[in-house]
Amino acid sequence: MSVQVQQGKRGLTDPEMVKEILEAIPDQPLDTQRKMNYFVKPRGRRLTEYEVLTCYAQPTPDWIPGGLDWGDWTQKFHGGRPSWGNETTELHSTDWHKHRDPAKRWHAPYVKDKAEEWRYTDRFLLAYSSEGQVRSIDPIWRDEVLNDYLGAFCFNEYGLFNAHSSASRDCLGDTLRMSIAMIGFDKVDNAQMIQLERTFLAKLVPGFPESTDEPKREWTQGAIYKGARETVQDIWQATYDWNEILWSCHMVYDPLFGQFVRREFFQRLSSYYGDTLTPFFINQMQLYFSQTKGITSDMFFECLGDDAEFGDYNRRMMRAWTDKWLPRTVQALQDFMGIFTKIPTIPGVTSKDAVEAALERVFDDWKLDYADKVSYKFDKAAIIKTILQGLK
Amino acid sequence: MAISAATKAATDALAVNRAPTSVNAQEVHRWLQSFTWDFDKNRTKYPTKYKMANETKEQFKLIAKEYARMESVKDERQFGSLQDVLTRLDAGNRVHPKWGETMKVASNFLEVGEYNAIAATGMLWDSASAPEQKNGYLAQVLDEIRHTNQCGYVNYYFSKHFHDPAGHNDARRTRTIGPLWKGMKRVFSDGFISGDAVECSVNLQLVGEACFTNPLIVAITEWAAANGDEITPTVFLSIETDELRHMANGYQTVVSIANDAAASKYLNTDLNNAFWTQQKYFTPVLGMLFEYGSKFKVEPWVKTWNRWVYEDWGGIWIGRLGKYGVESPRSLRDAKKDAYWAHHDLFLLAYALWPTGFFRLTLPTAEEADWFEANYPGWYDQYGKIYDEWRARGCEDPNSGFIPLMWFIENNHPIYIDRVSQVPFCPSLCKGASTLRVHEYNGKKHSFSDEWGERMWLSEPERYECQNMFEQYAGRELSEVIAEQHGVRSDGKTLIAQPHTNKNGKLWTLDDIKKLNCVFKDPLDAL
Repeated sequence: MSVQVQQGKRGLTDPEMVKEILEAIPDQPLDTQRKMNYFVKPRGRRLTEYEVLTCYAQPTPDWIPGGLDWGDWTQKFHGGRPSWGNETTELHSTDWHKHRDPAKRWHAPYVKDKAEEWRYTDRFLLAYSSEGQVRSIDPIWRDEVLNDYLGAFCFNEYGLFNAHSSASRDCLGDTLRMSIAMIGFDKVDNAQMIQLERTFLAKLVPGFPESTDEPKREWTQGAIYKGARETVQDIWQATYDWNEILWSCHMVYDPLFGQFVRREFFQRLSSYYGDTLTPFFINQMQLYFSQTKGITSDMFFECLGDDAEFGDYNRRMMRAWTDKWLPRTVQALQDFMGIFTKIPTIPGVTSKDAVEAALERVFDDWKLDYADKVSYKFDKAAIIKTILQGLK
Repeated sequence: MAISAATKAATDALAVNRAPTSVNAQEVHRWLQSFTWDFDKNRTKYPTKYKMANETKEQFKLIAKEYARMESVKDERQFGSLQDVLTRLDAGNRVHPKWGETMKVASNFLEVGEYNAIAATGMLWDSASAPEQKNGYLAQVLDEIRHTNQCGYVNYYFSKHFHDPAGHNDARRTRTIGPLWKGMKRVFSDGFISGDAVECSVNLQLVGEACFTNPLIVAITEWAAANGDEITPTVFLSIETDELRHMANGYQTVVSIANDAAASKYLNTDLNNAFWTQQKYFTPVLGMLFEYGSKFKVEPWVKTWNRWVYEDWGGIWIGRLGKYGVESPRSLRDAKKDAYWAHHDLFLLAYALWPTGFFRLTLPTAEEADWFEANYPGWYDQYGKIYDEWRARGCEDPNSGFIPLMWFIENNHPIYIDRVSQVPFCPSLCKGASTLRVHEYNGKKHSFSDEWGERMWLSEPERYECQNMFEQYAGRELSEVIAEQHGVRSDGKTLIAQPHTNKNGKLWTLDDIKKLNCVFKDPLDAL
C-alpha cells in the first residue's frame, strides 16, 4: 500500500515524491520535435498559436476532404445519416480544414477583446450620462427612429444570429466552426447592444419606452422592414445548406442591407440629429462586420473560390446564390427607403441625392469586396434605381 | 427644433442629479425572451420527438459581453499561472513519466468531447424555441470552444516542457490508430451530435456533463497533483467552472419538455441508453487511466465511481429531476458491477495492443501489484500472473520478439469489439460482466458484450454500422498500419507507443514490429 498517497499530497511540492519523480525522468528529451501539431501546414511563415490550438481538433474521416481519421462515424442519426457529411453543402473542397481566421483568434483572445469592449462601453455610458449629452438628441430621431426603427433592427441582428446555429453544427471543419460560432456570437451581441442603448435611454429620458413591444410590432408588421424580415426569416429557417446560409447572410444581405442601415443610415445621420450615443454602438457593430468580412472572405474566396479542384464550380455556385439573394436584398432596401419619410428632412443629408450617394458607396464597396471576387456582374444603376422607388 | 416634454424632463432630472449612469447585464438580459418572433416557416433543422416549451428560462442570465468579461478573467488566472509560475518551476518536466503518458490520452480525448460539444450545443441552439434557452446553449457553444482550446493547450504545454513530447505533439494525427479511439468517438463525439436533439442533450448534458465530468475533470486533478502534474489541475478546474452552466442547460432541457405528457414515454429510455453508452466507455477507461497510468494512487476507482456516479448522480442529481418524471437508469446496477473489474479487463487488452497507441503504457510494478490486490482482492490471480508471464517473456524489450497480443492468440483468447460501444472485450478472460453475443445482419457478423447495447442495436442497427479496428485492418501487417497512421516519432522510425516508461529502456521501432509479422485478423471470421 506504499504507493497510495493521502489526498491533498502533491507531487510537485512533497520532497520525497519529487525525488521519486525526478529519478524516473530521463536526462534528455525523447523527441526533438517540441511544437504541437508540427505536421500542420501554416498559412503564414510560422505555425501560429491559433493554428496549433485549433487545426485538426475535429476528428474527421478522410472521406470528408481534409480529414485525418480512418473509418466512419461510430453512431449515426436515426436512419443512418452520418454525423457530418459532404452532402450538407453544395460547395466542394479539397480540404475543409484550410480556412484560417485572419485575426488568428481562438477563444482567449476573442473574449479578451470583447471583455475590453464591455468595460469601455460601461465607461463610455457613465461619461455620456454624467455630462448630459442626451439633451442634444432630436426628439423625433430619439423617440421614433431610435426607439422604433433601431429597436426593430435588433430583430434583424437576432434573426441573423440564429441563422448561425445550424451552420455552426453542420460545417465540416474546425477552424470554420469556431469562426462561425464567433460570428454568430457577435450578431447576438449587436442585438443586445441595441436593447442596451434603449434601456440606457429609458433611464435618462423619462417616458422613453424600454419595452421591446413597439420595435417588435414594427419589425413584424411594419412596411419598412418587411423585405428585411422576410429575407432574414429565409436565411435563418428556410435555407439548409450551411454555406448558402453564410453566403446569403455575409456575402450578400449584410454587406448591402446591413451596411446601408448601420453605416449609411444610423451612423451617418446620427450626428445630424445630435445623437452621439448611437455611433458608439454602431462602431462596435462595424468592427464585428469588418472582422466577419475577413473571416468569410478567407472561407469563400481564399479557400473555396480558389480551390485547386473545385474553385470554378464553387464560384459558379456563389454567383447562382447571389442571383437568388440579391433581389431579396434589393427589396429589403427598397422597403427601408420608407424610413426617410419618418425623419425631419435635412437637405443634402436625407434628400434623394444623398441617399443615392450612400447607396452608391455601399454597392461600390460590395462590388470591390465581394462581387468582383467571384466575377459577379450586376447593373448598379438599375438596382439603385429600383431601390429608390421606395423613397417617397 | 421644438424641445419635447421628454427632453425637458431629462434636462430637469440632470439638473437635480448628475450621477453617472450605466446599464448592467441583467437589465439587458430581462428582455431577451422577447427577442424572437413567430412566422410560418419557423422550424429547426434538428427536430425532436419531444415538445420543447417556448417559455423556458435559463439560470445564468448572461449577455454576450458579460460572458466575455467573466471568461476573460478566468483565462487571465489560468494562463497567467501556466506562463509564469508553472513555467518558472519547470512544472511541465516534473511530472511522473507514467502520468505524463496518461495526459496524452486524457487531454486529447477530453478535447474531442469538448470539440464535439460545440456542434452539439449548436444543434440545441437551433432546436430550442425559447430565446433564453437558446442563450444558455449559445454560451455553452463558446464555452466548448474555450475548453477545446484549453485541452489543446495542455498538449501544447506538455509538448514544450515534458520530457517525452511525442504523442502530445501530434495526437490529433495519430490518435485514430488504436483500440481506445472509436469507443471514445462514440461517447464523446457522435453520441453528442447524431440523433434526436433532446436525446443528444441527454447524452451530453444530463449524463456526460452532470455525471462523468466529476470523475473525468475533477478527480483527475487529484491524481495529476499527486503525480507532480500541476498543469492539469490549473486547466481542468478552470474548465469545470463552466460545467455547472452546462449541467443547468441539461436541467433546463428537461424542464422545457416536462409539460409534454408524451415526454415520459421516451425520456427514461433515452436516459438509460445515454447512461449505458457513456458508462460503458468511461467506467473502464477512466479507471484504467487513473490506476494504471499513475505512480502515486489517490483512491481506488471503484470508490470514486460509487461516490460520484452511483450516489451523487444516480441518486441526488437524478433525484432532483424526479418531479419531472425522470428515474435513475435501470442499467445503473449493471454499471455498478462493471465499476469493480472492467478497467482491469480493459488494461489487459490495451497493453496487449500497445503498439497501436499514441502513448506509453507500463505494467504494474510489484509495489503497485500489492496495491491492486489489497483494493481488488483476486486481482493477482486474474491479472498479476499474466503480467508476470509477459514480463518474463521480455514484453518490454524490443529484442524479445514478443508482444502480448501474441499471448492472446497462443492461448485462444479472442478479442472482440462491441459493435455499439466499440469497446474491446475478451469474453474468455474478462472478470467484468461482458458476455459474447453475435448477430448476423446484411451478411455481416456483429459482436456485442452486453444486453443494453444489444437492445439498442436490435432496434436501430443502421446507427451502429461502423467498422471496428479488426475489420478495418484485417489482412494488414501491424508495422504497415502504424506507419500509415503516423504512429512514429519525428525520427520517422521509433514508435510513439511503447510498452514501458523505463528511464533507460530501449524504444521499439517499426523494424522491431515488422519482425513479428503480426497480421490483423477479424475474430468474427472464425465464428
